[in-house]
Amino acid sequence: MISLRTRLGLGLLASLVIMIGLLWLTVGVTVRALMEEHMASRMSHDGESLLGGMQLAPGGGVILDTRRIQGIYQQPFSGHYFQVEADGHVTRSRSLWDEELQLPEVAVGETRVDFVSGPQQQPLLLWTRGYRKQGSMVRLAVAEDLEAVQAGIRRFQWYLAAGSLAVVFMVLLIQQYIVVRSLRPVSVIVEDIERLETGEISSLREPVPHEVFPLVRAINLLLQRQQQRLQRSREALGNLAHTIKTPLTVLLQLASEKVPAEDVASHAELQRYGRLINEHVNASLRRARLAGDSLGTSRFDLQQDLPVLVDTLTRLHPDRPITLNTNAGGLRQLPFEQQDGMELLGSLLDNAWKWARNSVQLNIDGGPPLSIVIEDDGPGIDAAGLRLLAQRGMRQDENIPGHGIGLSVVRSLVEALGGTIEFATSEVLGGLQVCIRLAGRS
Amino acid sequence: MRLLLAEDDPDLSARLKRYLGKAGFAVDAVDNGVDAEFNGCGTSYDVIVLDLGLPQRPGLEVLANWRRANIKIPVLILTARDSWQEKVLGLQQGADDYLTKPFREEELLARLQALIRRNTRTVGDSLAINGWVLDEETQSVSREEQRWELTGIEFRLLRYFMLHPGRILSKSRLTEHVYEQDADRDSNVIEVYIRRLREKLGKDIITTKRGQGYVFGKTA
Repeated sequence: MISLRTRLGLGLLASLVIMIGLLWLTVGVTVRALMEEHMASRMSHDGESLLGGMQLAPGGGVILDTRRIQGIYQQPFSGHYFQVEADGHVTRSRSLWDEELQLPEVAVGETRVDFVSGPQQQPLLLWTRGYRKQGSMVRLAVAEDLEAVQAGIRRFQWYLAAGSLAVVFMVLLIQQYIVVRSLRPVSVIVEDIERLETGEISSLREPVPHEVFPLVRAINLLLQRQQQRLQRSREALGNLAHTIKTPLTVLLQLASEKVPAEDVASHAELQRYGRLINEHVNASLRRARLAGDSLGTSRFDLQQDLPVLVDTLTRLHPDRPITLNTNAGGLRQLPFEQQDGMELLGSLLDNAWKWARNSVQLNIDGGPPLSIVIEDDGPGIDAAGLRLLAQRGMRQDENIPGHGIGLSVVRSLVEALGGTIEFATSEVLGGLQVCIRLAGRS
Repeated sequence: MRLLLAEDDPDLSARLKRYLGKAGFAVDAVDNGVDAEFNGCGTSYDVIVLDLGLPQRPGLEVLANWRRANIKIPVLILTARDSWQEKVLGLQQGADDYLTKPFREEELLARLQALIRRNTRTVGDSLAINGWVLDEETQSVSREEQRWELTGIEFRLLRYFMLHPGRILSKSRLTEHVYEQDADRDSNVIEVYIRRLREKLGKDIITTKRGQGYVFGKTA
């Protein structure tokens, strides 16, 4: 798609070229015609004057009154010529020297104006008229060299072309300036959309010219609806969890109450199925809650949301005085929707909190790709366990004593967000190191 | 220990009331947010179990209103909502613990006991004051090699004393924390139970402060 600016520029250029071209042609033709008319009228005056002082010679031919002949007709090849033909006798001006003009046939009283080639290849305007003088047929012709006039017209046309070019150039410049100025609100919108993508703002600025206002309004409405839908669907998911889990709680408690305490196997099975139902429901709800790449949602803010999350963890684990060291390299926001980030970091940190002895290290690198590395100084997982974790799937995770559920939650979240997760032993702290990479987010 | 249970599911509420009652709590159950907020404001509970999905007024709002009214009773949120956003909101609103459904009754009890101990600044798993050790599981008390079984009310009363050692506790305060809202409350009954405790465990276990109340152990 060609940019509006180029398109407007090309359109204007084309119309200017056509308009100025037509003007140039019209002006050229008109000026030439005017000049020729002017010359023809002068030549006719010269002709009349010649005719007035002309006598038919008895032996044929004519006698001219030399006083009536201007000096310009006496200089050879001066560009001004006349020629009179009567009864087959030709009388020429001195300027013609020994050249003779080919005169067209004219009837008595008829006037013709022609372009002919004269002496020394001079382009001539030839004025010819037929007369009847003393019973004889007389053809009188006056010619003038067009060279000077044509050169003048050509010069004029060059000047016109140069002037027109300058005007076209100027008009184009002015137009571009106007276009850029009028499109400035559009670049504001483009800027806003970029900020929208990075989560800096949640709607576009609305004071824009009324031509683009409907667009901005439509985008904002769309964003608003999307946010409302996200919020509604999250509420609905919360309600769904409520309606499933409360009866599940009663069911499990009821069942474990009815099974005799000695039947340890049945109790264990009840527990296992209860946990399975719960985990599957949770996993689905968790994925459904994710906002993913939605536009217009606020981002997880490392300076606002992370401290709140850490405070929550501290309250949830009052018996674990753990310090979190964060290194985000100046990054302010994570490229996640705020609740997505809360869920991901909450699950990650909660798992680290459960196992850490004193400290947890959180390293975030904006990338791309974005990487989040969490390390703890807990017991960690042995090599066999790490190998199991490298295989995908929830069942394997469950075989790692203790860590199971927490890590499978993190894994399913990371996969839903389109990232990869790796587990290793922390070189610095000695416990588990969880490394998450999310390509395409930065 | 007086406990407010705000849970709208009648089955779960009835089960928990029975279970927690057996574990020595005087349980008042409400099934909506408005009643929950009202009760929490008017009665000095020792701990509150709050469901977030309450009808009439959301649990989070109830909690926020309590905290705004400077009611500092420890609150355990009991909810089916397990997202971190909700956990963060709940704890930032002033909850002290967060338990998601489905849960085991034993787990709820353990969390509640931990919460009460944290709140009364008692350290350790069992309650041990002046050589007396209270076993919450078997609802009995022991000293050196000897062991005494306690009845429900005796256990509630002794636990309240042991959680507030050295402090003068009035009869009405004891009544409030030992009995449910709808129980027949005659403060003279407290005297009967204190007499029983003295008969069982020795005269000196609880001192009477005439006109003021009773003290467990030495006066602070």
